[in-house]
Amino acid sequence: MYRNHKTGILGIVITIILLILIVVFSNGENNASFFENVASKLVMPVQNGLTYLKNKISGNDTFFTDINKLKEENEQLLAKNSELEQSLRELENIKTENETLKEYMNLTEKYGEYKTIPAYVINRDISNYSKTIVINVGTNDGVKEDMTVIGDQGLVGHIVSVTDTTAKVQTIIDTASSVSATMSSTDETIVCKGTLESTTELKAMYIPTDYNIIQGDSIETSGLGGIYPKGIHIGTVKQVEATKNVTDRYAVIETAVDFDKLSTVLVITN
Amino acid sequence: MKKLLIHIILILTAFIIYFLQSNFFNWFTIAGIMPNLFVIFTLFIGLFASKMMGTIYGMVIGLFLDVIFREKIGVSFIALGLVGFLATIFDKNFSKDSRMTIMLMTAGLTIVYEVIVYFANYFILGTNLEIFAFLKILLIEVIFNLLLTIIIYPLLQKFGYYMENEFKGNKILTRYF
Repeated sequence: MYRNHKTGILGIVITIILLILIVVFSNGENNASFFENVASKLVMPVQNGLTYLKNKISGNDTFFTDINKLKEENEQLLAKNSELEQSLRELENIKTENETLKEYMNLTEKYGEYKTIPAYVINRDISNYSKTIVINVGTNDGVKEDMTVIGDQGLVGHIVSVTDTTAKVQTIIDTASSVSATMSSTDETIVCKGTLESTTELKAMYIPTDYNIIQGDSIETSGLGGIYPKGIHIGTVKQVEATKNVTDRYAVIETAVDFDKLSTVLVITN
Repeated sequence: MKKLLIHIILILTAFIIYFLQSNFFNWFTIAGIMPNLFVIFTLFIGLFASKMMGTIYGMVIGLFLDVIFREKIGVSFIALGLVGFLATIFDKNFSKDSRMTIMLMTAGLTIVYEVIVYFANYFILGTNLEIFAFLKILLIEVIFNLLLTIIIYPLLQKFGYYMENEFKGNKILTRYF
């Protein structure tokens, strides 16, 4: 096709540049902030020096005129300081009270009752249509099928198959996954399914018509279905989509776990 | 002897592609969407190697992917096998000297592969049907694959004809008619 060798190479180079540009710009913020970082690192030392110099120079002439002002300000600050110290003591009281209350509610023991095994994510799915991950623990560590996997923020998924040293985890954002969940404020049960469109959102469908769904409500596993234990945090209700027909309405749920940056997980073994 | 060497190189390439796909292309994406290098690889083998090799390599790679990532074995196995088979048919009917034909083949086979995999999963696993989201991902994936084909085409062609000489030997004359 390209009889002229040079044109061929030029075409390839242009395509490579085009591809890199598309990748950089299509992924938005992350890469932009990367370039911003590089740029700011280059410019910052100079800018800092210049600002320091400027402040030195412009500060000089105001030094004498400000003494009276400073005295006044000093008194104000002293008064404020004592005020703040008092509120600090109050806060300290509230803090200890809060801690005792938490203990009272057994919140600290909530995840303590599960035995867990830490694991690293060693592989992500190579396809665009499913969201399986592979972790570095297997039957040798006591991991079995259908065990629940959690991250530091909340539910990650469950194990679908194990080898001696690795395990395959189906995440809750996978399109084949559905989790039975309850809303924290109303105790009503819904089913959350993964979607193709987003890696941070679940879709709650088949919501009974008499259910009230509140935006910002926290969602937990219900314990129904036999795989996930009760009371593991999943995420929060982002929005409720009302449709013409009340039975068709669905809610979008934002997952607590950031699956794009997920690197360590815990496997619940009991 | 040379054939064995080519087989070893191909298997190594498959592993390199696997690691590229699971590491490099996990962040080098267009709007979060990865290309599918395995389709290009299977197409390449089907086009240039001997008759059944495309199908066999496609099936083996598909089985490997199924075992590593899927719950049910068989979907990628069949889909990639079909890609390899179609590639051998393309080999008989189209010229391999034009970059454009190879690009069209890549686009077509990527679509075939992904549609089969998606609908098989829909029927087997009972996922929700999200046609628009699927089409959007498919379109971007095809474009990504096309760009990659343009970049690696000279390499494909050079190694491809070398491989063809080894495997097809004296039957190669058909190319010029």
